[in-house]
Amino acid sequence: MTKPVRRLQKPVAIMAAAATPCAHLQSAESSAIQTVEHEILGGCVIDAMAASGLDKSQIDSLVFTTPRTYTKQRYFGTFMANYLRISCSGVVMEVLGNGMTGGLAFDQAVLQIASGAADVALCLGISMETGIDRSAHLAYQMRTNGDVDFHAPFGLTPRAWYGLDAARYAHESGATREQLAAIAVKSYANGVLNPLATRRERYTLDQVLSHPPISEGMGLLEFSAPADGAVCLVLTTEDIAKSRGRPYVLVRSRGFHHAGMHEISEVPDDMLAFTAAARAAADAYESAGVTAQDVDVAELYAASTIIEALVSEAVGLVPRGQGAAAAAAGETSIGGRIPVNTSGGLIARGHPAYVTPLYGVVELFDQLRGASGPRQVKDAGIGIMLSELGNFSGASVHVLEGVR
Amino acid sequence: MTLAIIRKTGARPYPPRLTEFTATFWNELANGRFMLSRCGDCSHRSFPPKKICPICWSRKIGWVEHDGRGVVYSHALVHAAPAYFQNELPFRVCVIDLVEGPRMATRLIDATADNLFGAAVRLVTLQYDDGALFAARPG
Repeated sequence: MTKPVRRLQKPVAIMAAAATPCAHLQSAESSAIQTVEHEILGGCVIDAMAASGLDKSQIDSLVFTTPRTYTKQRYFGTFMANYLRISCSGVVMEVLGNGMTGGLAFDQAVLQIASGAADVALCLGISMETGIDRSAHLAYQMRTNGDVDFHAPFGLTPRAWYGLDAARYAHESGATREQLAAIAVKSYANGVLNPLATRRERYTLDQVLSHPPISEGMGLLEFSAPADGAVCLVLTTEDIAKSRGRPYVLVRSRGFHHAGMHEISEVPDDMLAFTAAARAAADAYESAGVTAQDVDVAELYAASTIIEALVSEAVGLVPRGQGAAAAAAGETSIGGRIPVNTSGGLIARGHPAYVTPLYGVVELFDQLRGASGPRQVKDAGIGIMLSELGNFSGASVHVLEGVR
Repeated sequence: MTLAIIRKTGARPYPPRLTEFTATFWNELANGRFMLSRCGDCSHRSFPPKKICPICWSRKIGWVEHDGRGVVYSHALVHAAPAYFQNELPFRVCVIDLVEGPRMATRLIDATADNLFGAAVRLVTLQYDDGALFAARPG
């Protein structure tokens, strides 16, 4: 049986984007004056809509990322529809799916346009976690990544799983500590150039290596930077985008795969293959009629150096076992063969988890319109955005193309 | 009894929940027996134990003992963890493949060798004051 190539029913355009810097936006609970979610996100909506040149009466759909549990206002989507007085006949919804939340929200907004349910859809959300106790957050994460009863009792946190990946990777590929750490050095070099980045400081290889170890030798600077953030994207039909007479970015295709596992499969497999990412990417490339070689710039969801190495391999940007070595050789740097995470990625730009993939779209929106300033990848035409959940049990990929 | 039982003082740092179904696993673990759920229709053995066969969706589930022998697929030394585990840092976690059995993740204790990939391990019972956990150790 030949597998059908699934294509979007209709072209979808990203017309505008607005985002806060990834930063400490959330106030401590004890603070007399609070920062609140709707006031922050509301500003992004106004900015994004102004940049799109559209009127709020044209908005058909609002697709929100669900705020983290640490955000006080719940049923946030319908609350925001009132706060901004936007009435909709497409959909008003919140999307949730671990770290993939932003990727799934983007996907749902794309499908609103592609299906004809909406001509204009906002994909938007806010993610805050810096105002809460860090160790409480670590304990919460243990309940999300793995099995509460059969993994958590052993202290299997996300960082522990990354350590298991890193150790196996070093064993199989011969990648060195220095090569992995080079991914962090590259991330910080990009972050310095990104006004949205939370860690805007250069670090040398020695500095990265000298930070306290967290998991399997990987130090503090090799993991994602906790941050808050808010993003609003304006999606439309290509006809509407064209009619504005400004550069826009086309969503060429989508790919998704869940491997039917959660962190680990009891059936022994190749843990480093990231099968879900490989399949989601293969489907997205096929649907767009491109190959991995056509990709000019990639925003990949990678909360640690090891994950960037592995996922850049899984989506075909570098050969198997070469992810860390390629980064160390400068291949994934701006100006290199295939720049990865020009935004600084989760490590330097920061990781407001539930909207992180939307920041990936923001970066590609700029790159593919030639609007990335000192971070600009020369002649960037095709970009991919990938998000994932649970050590790549599932992955979502979108192929984007600039239209200037 | 096939698993060595190691006595630990105090309570488990993050105790698992027991269900009527999984109580069999934890009770047998306390006796030094490592049980896998086994499908009565397709013979698939699961870990963690499941009331429904994940492969064929049969509800005909029984139990079968595993001798706890396995090999290390990966292992990692962890230096940062939630408050529950502060007293145990650093600790080593592992992914092991039980011989002709499922892959699983747990703690790796008493590991001294530099290269443990593919090394033989055996599961042990850690008997705390409030109940049992398991771990792997070389041997």
